[in-house]
Amino acid sequence: MSVTAWSELLFSGLITGAIYALVALGLNLQYGLMRILNIAHGEFLMLGAYLTWFAAVQLGWSPLLMVPLAFVGLTALGLAIHWLCFRRLTATSPNLDVFEARGLMVAFGLMFLIQNLVSWIWGGDLRGYDFLTEPVKVAGGQFAGNKLLIFALSLLFCGAMIALMRMTLLGKGVRALMQSPLGAQLVGINVRRLHPLMFGIGLGLSGIAGALLSMAYTISPSVGEPYTITALIVITLGGFGSMGGALAGGLMLGIVEALGMHFTNPSLKALLSYCVFIAVLLLRPRGLFARA
Amino acid sequence: MPNTRRRRLLQSAAALGAAGAAPWVHAQPAPIRVGYAIARTGPWTGGAQVSQEPNYLMWAEQQNAAGGLDVKGTRRRIELVSSDDRSDVETCVRTYEKLMGSDKVDLVLPPWGSNANFAVAPLANRMQYPFLAPTALSRKLVEMKLPYFFLLLQQPAPMTTAVVEMLKASGAKTVAVVYVDDLFGLENYAAFKVALQGSGIQMVEDKSYPGGVKDLSPVLRSMKDKNPDAFVGFTYPPDTILASRQSKEIGFNPKFFYASVGTAFPLYRNVMTAQGAEGVLGMGSWNAKTSPAAKAYFDAHAKRFEGKEPDRWASGHCWAGLEILTSAVKQVGLDRKAIRDYIAGTTHKTIIGDVKFTGSENTATPGTVGQWQKGEFEVVWPPKVATAALMPAKPAW
Repeated sequence: MSVTAWSELLFSGLITGAIYALVALGLNLQYGLMRILNIAHGEFLMLGAYLTWFAAVQLGWSPLLMVPLAFVGLTALGLAIHWLCFRRLTATSPNLDVFEARGLMVAFGLMFLIQNLVSWIWGGDLRGYDFLTEPVKVAGGQFAGNKLLIFALSLLFCGAMIALMRMTLLGKGVRALMQSPLGAQLVGINVRRLHPLMFGIGLGLSGIAGALLSMAYTISPSVGEPYTITALIVITLGGFGSMGGALAGGLMLGIVEALGMHFTNPSLKALLSYCVFIAVLLLRPRGLFARA
Repeated sequence: MPNTRRRRLLQSAAALGAAGAAPWVHAQPAPIRVGYAIARTGPWTGGAQVSQEPNYLMWAEQQNAAGGLDVKGTRRRIELVSSDDRSDVETCVRTYEKLMGSDKVDLVLPPWGSNANFAVAPLANRMQYPFLAPTALSRKLVEMKLPYFFLLLQQPAPMTTAVVEMLKASGAKTVAVVYVDDLFGLENYAAFKVALQGSGIQMVEDKSYPGGVKDLSPVLRSMKDKNPDAFVGFTYPPDTILASRQSKEIGFNPKFFYASVGTAFPLYRNVMTAQGAEGVLGMGSWNAKTSPAAKAYFDAHAKRFEGKEPDRWASGHCWAGLEILTSAVKQVGLDRKAIRDYIAGTTHKTIIGDVKFTGSENTATPGTVGQWQKGEFEVVWPPKVATAALMPAKPAW
């Protein structure tokens, strides 16, 4: 295989991986911080994708414009959902384990609700549109313009999220809450504000991921579920609550899949992903990037 | 007593009302209940809601607008009893068990896809419900020899033979193949390999992939390196579009680019643009030029569903199946054994041409190949049913 072929293969893996990372970041924020295992995460991604498709095809808006709008819209939806469902659960659950179990049930409900709502509004047909599909030559390789855009924006938002966590007081508060919820509250970190905000930002990130995905892939109401599963694998690889870990885990999974599909068979993709997953669980159960 | 008087008065009124309504009740024969389960959610939805359910709805509406389905000269309204199978085989089977076993509907219409039909066909056969499947493609279904089961689509052998004949006639020497690793993909791949034997066309690469795949570029890149004359994909709609987009992305430009389910969907042209779709080959067997009846169906569909066109493959076969069912009920009534015998023993005139069943298989419709040309999916092979001449080399994406 030539150097160009290798670089094309690795880069296509990185593009897929960057999307995985972006999806996983939102879920990681929700689970790592609040222990909300949001099984409906992929459905919010699907919702973001549908909103973008609708704006692009029916209203003639640029899909790029929908990236910030999907973030704002989904964040607002996240705040509303937290206020309606999870705030009450937090108040009524006797401990964190019960909250986690109840939260999982709520997330299942949300999954069915959103999937059926989208089916009801837009029907079950496959949807898609043409946006930046012309190939662009990069470093000897050739990639669709929309894929490069997705890659760049995914990395940008992942980077922004990591910077937010590391460099701001808000991020410090979130990390403190992840390390010791009780201790953080004792030093005056306001959980009632931080939890809904982070839940909203988590959904906002899935909205961005959906908006980006709709540029390159066809969408249907069932498109979200596989992303939830992939995101769960990625955050397990990277370590719960670790933003940098989710980014590295996502990119790694993308590369493993691309190489695996090239040298074996795409049918073995799931097998390869799960082999990596099981190996990490056996050898580094707290995630590849967790400190011992 | 006032109460007794009032009761008598009410009883009299009720009796009068019933007497008045009685002739009307007799004048309106009971509706025909037609049951089906179809995907409205889940991964099968894309196919089911393009090729199948819109036709069921339009058929019932058209028949009811004419006063109902003609049952040996008596018009009876159609009442559709339908539900979402959630793209789940078990839900699908249970729904048909209920429809045929406890609801005892008069007729059933099939679900979407080879897998669901594979699961439901034996049940329908046992319950003796004629089953005219518009979206099932499997040799195994034919080999099951179910007397009540009829397949409207051309099966893997004629479809893949048509592709090979077309490639051979156009001078292709090498081909690369991808196929989805389920019943549909495996059977078509196997039939394609058989059809290739003795054709002089060499298969330089073959790879399977799982349904719902998100990236085929690693496979397409290795195919591009081998520079085949033709690419053949036994693919489902999302993968058909994925393979096309990613081929464009990496500059994979074989002279013949053939993909399967979904190529004939108007969505394909919308997503790839008419220029991008130009020259792409796929499974398709009719369009509005095939016959005046096909044109009438095409126009009615686009009008009923606000501009949504039927796809140029299974939609036409689905409508042909409904035409056959309509004609069977008109000729023999609702006796299901008689309907089955009528379907099995008649050459049917439909919008896609003659349909005749040998066992379960429609052997009158030849294997065909379609191609996007100037925004329309034309039938290009075999020449005797072609609506346009084959464009022998696809322009670059």
